[in-house]
Amino acid sequence: MPLDTSTYNLALLRVDGRRWNELRQQKGQLGVQPSADGSAYLEMGNTKIQCIITGPNERDTKSTSSASTAPTSHGLGATVAVSIMIAPFATVDRKRRGRNDKRLQEMQTTIASGLAATVQGQSYGPRSTIHISLNVLSQDGSLLACLINAASLALVDAGVPMTDYLVACTAGSTSSYAAADEEADPLLDLNTQEEQELPFLTLATLGATDKVVAMVCESRVQLTRLEGMMATAADGCKGVRDFLDGVVRDKGELMVQEGAIGRGEVVSSMDLD
Amino acid sequence: MSSTSQHLLLSPAELAYLHGSLSLITPGPIRPDGRSPTQFRPLTAETGILPGTNGSARICFADGTEAVVGVKAEVEKTPVPPYEFVASTEGRKGHSSAPKKSSRKSKKTTTEDEEISMDVDEDDEEAAGVNEKARVSPDWVELSVEIPGLRDDDSGTVFLTSMLTEALLADGEFVKKLWINRRFHWKLYLDIILISPPLSYPLPLLSLTTHLALLATRLPRLKSEADEDPMFDDDWAAATFLYPRQDTTSAKASNKSPKQPSAAAAAAPASRPPITLLVMAVGDNIIFDPSKEELAVADSAVAVSVAEGPSSETEPESESIPATSTKRNLHLLSVRTIDPPSRLTPPGVPNSVNAAAWGTMTAATPTTTTAATAPANESGAAKHPDARVTETEDVVGVWKAPRGGAKFGMLGAMVAKVLERGGVAEEVLDGLEGVDLT
Repeated sequence: MPLDTSTYNLALLRVDGRRWNELRQQKGQLGVQPSADGSAYLEMGNTKIQCIITGPNERDTKSTSSASTAPTSHGLGATVAVSIMIAPFATVDRKRRGRNDKRLQEMQTTIASGLAATVQGQSYGPRSTIHISLNVLSQDGSLLACLINAASLALVDAGVPMTDYLVACTAGSTSSYAAADEEADPLLDLNTQEEQELPFLTLATLGATDKVVAMVCESRVQLTRLEGMMATAADGCKGVRDFLDGVVRDKGELMVQEGAIGRGEVVSSMDLD
Repeated sequence: MSSTSQHLLLSPAELAYLHGSLSLITPGPIRPDGRSPTQFRPLTAETGILPGTNGSARICFADGTEAVVGVKAEVEKTPVPPYEFVASTEGRKGHSSAPKKSSRKSKKTTTEDEEISMDVDEDDEEAAGVNEKARVSPDWVELSVEIPGLRDDDSGTVFLTSMLTEALLADGEFVKKLWINRRFHWKLYLDIILISPPLSYPLPLLSLTTHLALLATRLPRLKSEADEDPMFDDDWAAATFLYPRQDTTSAKASNKSPKQPSAAAAAAPASRPPITLLVMAVGDNIIFDPSKEELAVADSAVAVSVAEGPSSETEPESESIPATSTKRNLHLLSVRTIDPPSRLTPPGVPNSVNAAAWGTMTAATPTTTTAATAPANESGAAKHPDARVTETEDVVGVWKAPRGGAKFGMLGAMVAKVLERGGVAEEVLDGLEGVDLT
């Protein structure tokens, strides 16, 4: 279903009522799965993801057969294995996707190599694997970005050392043809409707810095707009990083309140950054 | 074979200890987690977690296993064989709203005959509607199970899928709810996802989650009539539950006209989707909802599917007793034996006959005379008649895998224990009733 983008120029409001640089509503939760080594639940708009982390443990070739793997610390550290499962009921029309779906494989590889760049895996040794399994329960745009954010949140819950959060965000452009170059606005955090209509890219940065870890763009974009889109996405990544950090701090607060950790130790370690 | 065989790091001695404590008779079985034999693991449940589905549920067992079920419905055309289609259009003439013009034309010519034929047609229609409802297909339900780390075509996954499907389709009542009209039906997709790694045999978890998701499933309200192309109410608040609420009086009122095809879902009596319970036997003890460790020493394991039919209104006693205490009308749908992993664990061998422990000769020779006459180089325990006897006998503290299938008496007792009044099935259904359906 094509999106009527012409209305954007009238009020500068998008189909869901956001302005160009607004993120969708986000909701995050840490430690949702008590039996896992680490877990997180993340909602960005209507995209809902649950991430389960098993490990680091000894490499199990059987369970990682369909997962994409990437070694950390130049092959000296633990391997990051990512497998994505999209629930058949995640999309509006039910659609069953096989595990060897090429698009899924590509996303898995992107996430695995992106996380391998931030995970300090040398403390585990090269024969261990951190298995990240991502369950997509509901899908409404910015899937890759959401998966990256959920994985990074769950890694924090699992206590895997990382240099910073790996955060990702999408950015698009309001028009897809060259003539409208002047009035084209970059858009942040697209939903499915916008993704189907507009050119967009997914950008993953290391925390709030401008260090780009991964960038995926599968649509035709005017070269002149690329820079604006990347800048917008990087801004979005900052917002996402703040949000994820908030989730982690809230969880820490909660653990202190519940008496799981003493107050002093937590506060001192959290004030380090 | 099912996927109950998982890596379990218990030694033969530990298995024997577990088996011993579970088969105790005088104080009853002592379970590792301190539960009573009929007690379930505590669980947290919620429904309506995914607004994009027709119904969804999530259950988390206390041991950390978690499952999510999403139900999606699509309208599908029912394939009608050509000769039946002709018959049905003839029967429909003069009755349904579409061919009104033709009936008006015929009114000019005949008035009384028309009336009579209308009545006859209506009867035909009703009879046809009943026949049509009987002509439902189990293909209208599609169920898929996703277990992390296992392939889609893994035998365990396939077995679980077919067991849950079987329970759903066993009494043939469920597919009737999906009937829209002669030409269309709902196709229901049930997608079951185990989120956590399979820590215990996930059958009860998946079954209970499916049960809740089906209870929470709603289908849009039908606006069109008879055999028209179906039109549905846009208002989700007006959507009807697949399993109508028990407390709503409208469901009971419409009970009297169950032949009305348009109100198929609403007219269905207050029943509930099936549940499948895992029951196992150790010695003479029957244990419900076994954990992985308990299942490892089971003599036999059985999956019992139970459904709740309409609460029996023929019984006079139900009038006096308040609605909450009326007994449930449970009926058995299916029983499946499950291969417990204990069949796959090799039996422990006492040292006295274990050739690897150099026990064959030294232990056997002083006690028996036949062994003394045997030549010393014939050391295999299999060749030794006495050693074979000791191998098949029970030795205290040595794990021995059960042999043979479940005993008939035990199977009967297990099923009876599920179905009995105030039994486990009722308890589980009562517990699930407490879940807020949104």
